[in-house]
Amino acid sequence: MSMEDYDHLFKIVLIGNAGVGKTCLVRRFTQGLFPPGQGATIGVDFMIKTVEINGEKVKLQIWDTAGQERFRSITQSYYRSANALILTYDITCEDSFRCLPEWLREIEQYANSKVVTVLVGNKIDLTEKREVLRERAEEFAEAQGMLYLETSAKESDNVEKLFLDLACRLICEAKQNSLVNNVTSPMPGEGKNISYLNCCS
Amino acid sequence: MAESNPAVAVKRSASAGLSAISAEAIEGLTELDELERVYQQLCDEEKQVESELEALISQQGNIETKMLALQRMGPNLQLIEGDATQLSGMITFTCSLAENVSSKVRQLDLAKNRLYQAIQRADDILDLKFCTDGVQTALRNEDYEQAAAHVHRYLSLDQSVIELSRQGGESSAVDASLALLQEAEQRLKALVKERLDQAIADGDLAQVERFFKIFPLLGLHDQGLARFAQYLCAQLAKKAEENLLLAVGGELGERRAALIFADTLTLLLEGIARIVETHQPIVETYYGPGRLYTLIKHLQVECDRQAEKVVDKFIQQRDYQNKFQIVQSSMMRSMSTEKIEPRELDPVLLEVTVMNSRAELYLRFLRRRITADFEVGDATAPKSTVQEHQQSLEKLLTHCLLSRNMQELIGYYIPMEEYYMRESVNKAVAMDTYEKGQLTSSMVDDCFYIVKKCISRALSSSSIDCLCAMINHATSVLESDFREVLYNKLRQGFPATTLQDIQRGVSSAVSLMQTSLQQGKFNTLGIESAEDAKASFLVTLNNVEVCSENIITLKKNLESDCSKLFSQGFGSGEQAQAKIDSCLSDLVSTSSKFKDLLQEGLTELNNTAIKPQVKPWISNFLSISHNIEEDEFNEYEANDPWVQQFIVNLEQLMAEFKAGLSPVIYDTLTSLMTSLISLEMEKTVLKCTFSRLGGLQFDKELRSLVTYLTTVTTWTIRDKFARLTQMATILNLERVTEILDYWGPNSGPLTWRLTPAEVRQVLALRIDFRSEDIKRLRL
Ligand SMILES: Nc1nc2c(ncn2[C@@H]2O[C@H](COP(=O)(O)OP(=O)(O)OP(=O)(O)O)[C@@H](O)[C@H]2O)c(=O)[nH]1
Ligand SMILES: [Mg+2]
Repeated sequence: MSMEDYDHLFKIVLIGNAGVGKTCLVRRFTQGLFPPGQGATIGVDFMIKTVEINGEKVKLQIWDTAGQERFRSITQSYYRSANALILTYDITCEDSFRCLPEWLREIEQYANSKVVTVLVGNKIDLTEKREVLRERAEEFAEAQGMLYLETSAKESDNVEKLFLDLACRLICEAKQNSLVNNVTSPMPGEGKNISYLNCCS
Repeated sequence: MAESNPAVAVKRSASAGLSAISAEAIEGLTELDELERVYQQLCDEEKQVESELEALISQQGNIETKMLALQRMGPNLQLIEGDATQLSGMITFTCSLAENVSSKVRQLDLAKNRLYQAIQRADDILDLKFCTDGVQTALRNEDYEQAAAHVHRYLSLDQSVIELSRQGGESSAVDASLALLQEAEQRLKALVKERLDQAIADGDLAQVERFFKIFPLLGLHDQGLARFAQYLCAQLAKKAEENLLLAVGGELGERRAALIFADTLTLLLEGIARIVETHQPIVETYYGPGRLYTLIKHLQVECDRQAEKVVDKFIQQRDYQNKFQIVQSSMMRSMSTEKIEPRELDPVLLEVTVMNSRAELYLRFLRRRITADFEVGDATAPKSTVQEHQQSLEKLLTHCLLSRNMQELIGYYIPMEEYYMRESVNKAVAMDTYEKGQLTSSMVDDCFYIVKKCISRALSSSSIDCLCAMINHATSVLESDFREVLYNKLRQGFPATTLQDIQRGVSSAVSLMQTSLQQGKFNTLGIESAEDAKASFLVTLNNVEVCSENIITLKKNLESDCSKLFSQGFGSGEQAQAKIDSCLSDLVSTSSKFKDLLQEGLTELNNTAIKPQVKPWISNFLSISHNIEEDEFNEYEANDPWVQQFIVNLEQLMAEFKAGLSPVIYDTLTSLMTSLISLEMEKTVLKCTFSRLGGLQFDKELRSLVTYLTTVTTWTIRDKFARLTQMATILNLERVTEILDYWGPNSGPLTWRLTPAEVRQVLALRIDFRSEDIKRLRL
């Protein structure tokens, strides 16, 4: 690992209902474009982007999963090793918001207890079609201990911020974690709950 | 010489035959030396003129011969002049003639072009007429090919010419022909459709092909392909239904029966591939390249329909959904009422992977064929068309119902395979046995056999996502479940038996009391189970090490299996490779977690089994006086007081580990032990006092110890004992100041591991060294 040209490596997995814009968010961030006629994702897509944060090279491994039900079991196998999850819904689709508790159950069941979860409301460019109020989503996210952000993959609103803030948070947790680990060696499979730190505001 | 002439001429003209000195100037001269100078100058001039004259004269002959030659050429030149004049006259004439002709040629050319156009038009009109008549006759004779050829000819006529012709004098005749032709065209189209439909209904391949070939002549490519596909689909459906009926009837041998649905699906897909193979040439020949996609799109609809039937029957007869649900609920709640034996899932898991791999193979075949056909058809097409075609191909392949059905099956397969893996590993752990003399126990081999089997099965599905998911689950099973089992075994510790406690020679009464108390509790059974616990601990250490090795081997094997899969063209390129690489690197990183666990286990073993024994053996050193004289030294020589017994004890202590641990682990353990010994020895020596001979005795003892330890490990001992060896050197000095022979600039190759303060401390252990001398030392 030390041979490679980065200081940190993080796995980020995007989940959420089909059609909420996960692939568009990833493509906007990694390739800087909004793909026209984006077809539904089959299985999982994998992309890498290296960013620099406070002088540190951070390699982000981004797994873009398919929202369609029949790919659920493939998606589930990626939760465990994820450092962060981006749970996405579509602000113009009440249904995609209502499915969030179901997604949270999945996270609870499969993900690492240390995982950082961000709730993302996408497609804010479609103001007139909004079905989920911002306050409602914020309240929900807070109750579940998640960060919340609204984005538009189309207009490139908050997309950079989403990934970069997340990378920052992950660096903080990693540093905090290695500090904890130096004091006591953890037992295998035993997670440590670390409070969120606001390191990059 | 010819060149020198003009030079002379120039000179001549410059001086113009006159001297550079004028006569008046001469007359004006009064001084003698002036006169002499001018005279000299004139003489020089004269000499020069003379020589020039001579040169000219010498040329005379030459010039004369040349003149003679010229005179002879005179008549010839006159002849040439005459010829030239004549030639010029001829050229002028020819020129005007040519100009005359060329304008005529131009006119001719124009006329010719017009003539051709006229002929073309006449031809077209004639063709029109010919077609009109021909179509009628052909239709009357039911010679549809001929009729279609006529219509095709008509359709490929330049429509603007026809329009022009209608405006011409013969408009009414042309109009009539056109009307007739158009009517014939419609009739022919209707007829051909009707006959093709009839042929399809009759299942008459010869007739189907006959009329199928006519469609493109009438510009009805898509309709022709659609109808032809309809025929092929009907054939396909018939065969597929028969096959499915046979499958469900189930009168096959036991072995094949286990894969009957996979076989049925294979028959269906192979059938379609054969159809494509058989009929591609006719489509290519009569419809041109780039049309295969359209045909296959139609065929795929039937393929989807038939494949779904097979899948439905599979789900129904194999109780697939139900099995999945049982698995699902027993994974959610570990204490479930209903549980499936992993072994029961074997056949159905295998069948699903075979089905998927066949579907992948089939889709890959379609991709190859369609891509190649598009490539020919789109050779000159704009980029946008090429892209559009690629996209529609992609959409056809990834979003067809067959793909969806397979994705669904794989979606259920993954949790079931995961369950199979977890349950089987749990079983292997529960049934773990180990035979005396073996280093590892059965569960390690069993566990890796299972993991490998599950991943290989996932790999055989040819689905990259399925494979990656199973690699992820394998990583999880190994890293969490299986590692935890080993961890818990290690956490039970390596028991320190009461027997050992006595051997250890615990002197304190308190601990003696405690041990006898424990002895009462344990009794013989206690000792026996303690032996088991010890063996179990050592076996677990070996297991942990083998696990970390096996993981690396597993990853390597998977890598080569995957590259085989890729070389067969599965997985769309870099993406797939990157995904697998990432999942595999997660898998391999668990190997180092097992290594960490091994290290922890060894530290534990060192702390509980070695340290408590070795420490008292070393403290025995304290009871052997090193403040000795000649007599005692000789006595020690004859009867070794400490080191030999220490070595024997170590040998006995380690024998158990040497036999019970793999060589690599044993080596690491001895390394830990030697570190421990050197540390403890150091502490002990600092508590002793030494005479000169005592120092020598210690040096001998240390040498024996180091020599022994060197034989039991492959690690270098000397480095670990460097400090002790240096302490022995100091204790062996004659005088305090002798240290300076080894210190600082005199240290030579020796690197001191002792600080100056420590050197003084060691020096002070010698009772015969005065502390003032030591203090006075400059180190
Ligand atoms: N207006 C608007 N449309 C968007 C935005 N993001 C995505 N879309 C559209 O939403 C549709 C679905 O986007 P995807 O990115 O394919 O959705 P997905 O979440 O990846 O879907 P699955 O792969 O099926 O899980 C596409 O038609 C996009 O063009 C956005 O920010 N604004
Ligand atoms: Mg997507």
